[in-house]
Amino acid sequence: MPLEMIVGAWVATGLTLLIFSFLYKDNPLFKLAEHLYVGVSVGYVIVKTYDTVIVHLVVKPIVENGEIALLIPVAIGMLMLTRYVPKAAWMSRYAFAFIVGMGAGLAIPRTVSSFILKQVEDTIRPLLSMTGSDGVTFSMNLLNPASHLNAIIIFIGVSSVLFYFFFSIEHSGVGKAVARTGILFLMISFGAGFGYTVMARMSLLIGRLTDLIEFSDTSYGRPTVWLSLLTVGALFLLARRGREQPPDIH
Amino acid sequence: MTFSEKMLKIDRRIIFLMIGLCTLLPLLYPVGLPIKTSSEVRGVYDHIESLPEGSVFLLSIDFDPASKPELYPQAIALLRHAFKKNLHVITMTLWVSGTGMADQLVTQVAKEMGKENGTDYTFLGWSPGGQAVIINMGQDLYSAYPSDYRGKPTKELPILEGVRSLKDVGYMVSLGAGRPGVEEWYVFGKDKYKFEMGGGCTGVMAPGLYPLLRSGQINGLIGGLRGAAEYENLIGQKGKAVAGMDAQSATHLAIIALVIMCNLFYFSLRQQKG
Repeated sequence: MPLEMIVGAWVATGLTLLIFSFLYKDNPLFKLAEHLYVGVSVGYVIVKTYDTVIVHLVVKPIVENGEIALLIPVAIGMLMLTRYVPKAAWMSRYAFAFIVGMGAGLAIPRTVSSFILKQVEDTIRPLLSMTGSDGVTFSMNLLNPASHLNAIIIFIGVSSVLFYFFFSIEHSGVGKAVARTGILFLMISFGAGFGYTVMARMSLLIGRLTDLIEFSDTSYGRPTVWLSLLTVGALFLLARRGREQPPDIH
Repeated sequence: MTFSEKMLKIDRRIIFLMIGLCTLLPLLYPVGLPIKTSSEVRGVYDHIESLPEGSVFLLSIDFDPASKPELYPQAIALLRHAFKKNLHVITMTLWVSGTGMADQLVTQVAKEMGKENGTDYTFLGWSPGGQAVIINMGQDLYSAYPSDYRGKPTKELPILEGVRSLKDVGYMVSLGAGRPGVEEWYVFGKDKYKFEMGGGCTGVMAPGLYPLLRSGQINGLIGGLRGAAEYENLIGQKGKAVAGMDAQSATHLAIIALVIMCNLFYFSLRQQKG
C-alpha cells in the first residue's frame, strides 16, 4: 500500500470521526474539523482558480502566444477591484453592468424557453394527443408516466397549484375547493422532496461508514479502530473537564 | 410523565445510534435485497448502449467531494460502461472544488479499463464561467479549453479529432450536485446546440429534475445512490452503490417506523389530554 494512501486513510478517518462527534454534543474536536474543512476548501479553490485563470488562461496566452486581446477582459475584471478604492469605486459599475447585461441577455430567453414554454407544452400536449385521426383514445395506466390519466392529473395539479398562489380573489366556494386541491398536490410534492432528501442524507452516511469499514483493514494500520478509541477518550476527558469547571457566569 | 410523553422527549442520541446501527449492520452483513431498474436509469444506459463504437461521449463531473458518496459511484459506472463500449470519452468539470477528485476518478477508471489518456479519453479540467463555458464549448471547444488538465494543447489530442464543438458530441451526461449542473447543461447546451443528453444528480435534486425527464428534455436520469446501484446492476459490475442498498433500505424502514411511532405517541398524548 503506498504511503500517501495510508496517510490519506488516517486523515479521512480522523476527520470523519471528529465531525461525527457532534452527534454526541457540540465540542472542540468538531469545531477543529469544521474549521479545517472550511480552510482547506477555500485554500484549494483559491489555488486552483489562480492556476487556471491567471496562469493558464491569462498570463501564458499573452506572454507565449501574444494574445493581446485578452487584456480587454482582464481590464474589465480589474475594474471590479476599484470597489476597494472609494474615490474610484464608480468604475466598478461598468464591470458589473457588463456582467449583469450579458448574464441577463443569455439567461432570460433560454430560461423562458426551457422552463416555461417547454413545460407548458408538456402539460398541454398529452391532453391534445387524446384526439387523433382515429377518434378519442384514453389510456388509464397510472404506472405509465405518458398515460392520459397521468396527463389529466398533472394538468389538475398545475392548474390548482397556480390557482392556490393567485391571491387576487378570495378562496371561497369552488375557489376554496380548487385551492385545497392545490395544497394537496403541494403536500405530495413536499413529501416526495423530503423522502428524496432523507435518501440523500442516508447515502452520505453510508458513504462515510463504507470508508470507515474499509479503513479498519490491517493494510491501512486500522485507523478506524485506533482513532475511534482516541476520539471517544478525548470526548470523555472533555466531558469530565466540563463537569469539573464551574459554569461561566458572565 | 406518561409513556407517550417520555417517548416524545427521548434523547435524540438514541435515535442517532439506532440509525447508525441500521446503516452499519447491513454494510457489515449484507442481505442482497433485489434492485429493480427504473425506466429513467435505463434511459441513460440504453442510449449509451445504442452508440456505435468511437462515438463521442461527454461526461461533465459537476460535483465536489461533499457529494462524493452519491455521485462518485454513478461516475464510475458510467465511465466503465463508456470505456467498455469503446467510446471516445471527454470528461470535464464545471466545479473548481471538484477538479482534483474528477481527475483521480477518471484516471482510476481509465487505468482499470486499460485506456490511454489523449487517445481513448481526456480530462479537460475546469474552466471558469459556469454557463458561459457551456456556450463557449458550443461555439468552439478549443477556445473554451485551450489545453487539457495536464497542460497538453487540446488541438493536438488525437481523441478530439473531428470534435470542434458540442454539436459533434454523440451523447452527454452531466452529473450535477447543484449549479452549474444538469439544468445549465440543458438550458445553455442541449437546447441551443441540439445534442442528446442525460443527467445524474443527488437525491435532493432528483424531484426538481423529473419535469425535464417527463417532457423529454433529458432522456434519462440517475438519481442518488439508488440510481448508481441500478446502473451498476445494468452494466453487471457491482460496486459501492449496490453494497449500500441494503443499508439504505434498512434506514428507510427505521425512519418510516419512527415517523409512525412518533405520530402514534403524539395522538395518544393528545387524546389523554382531552
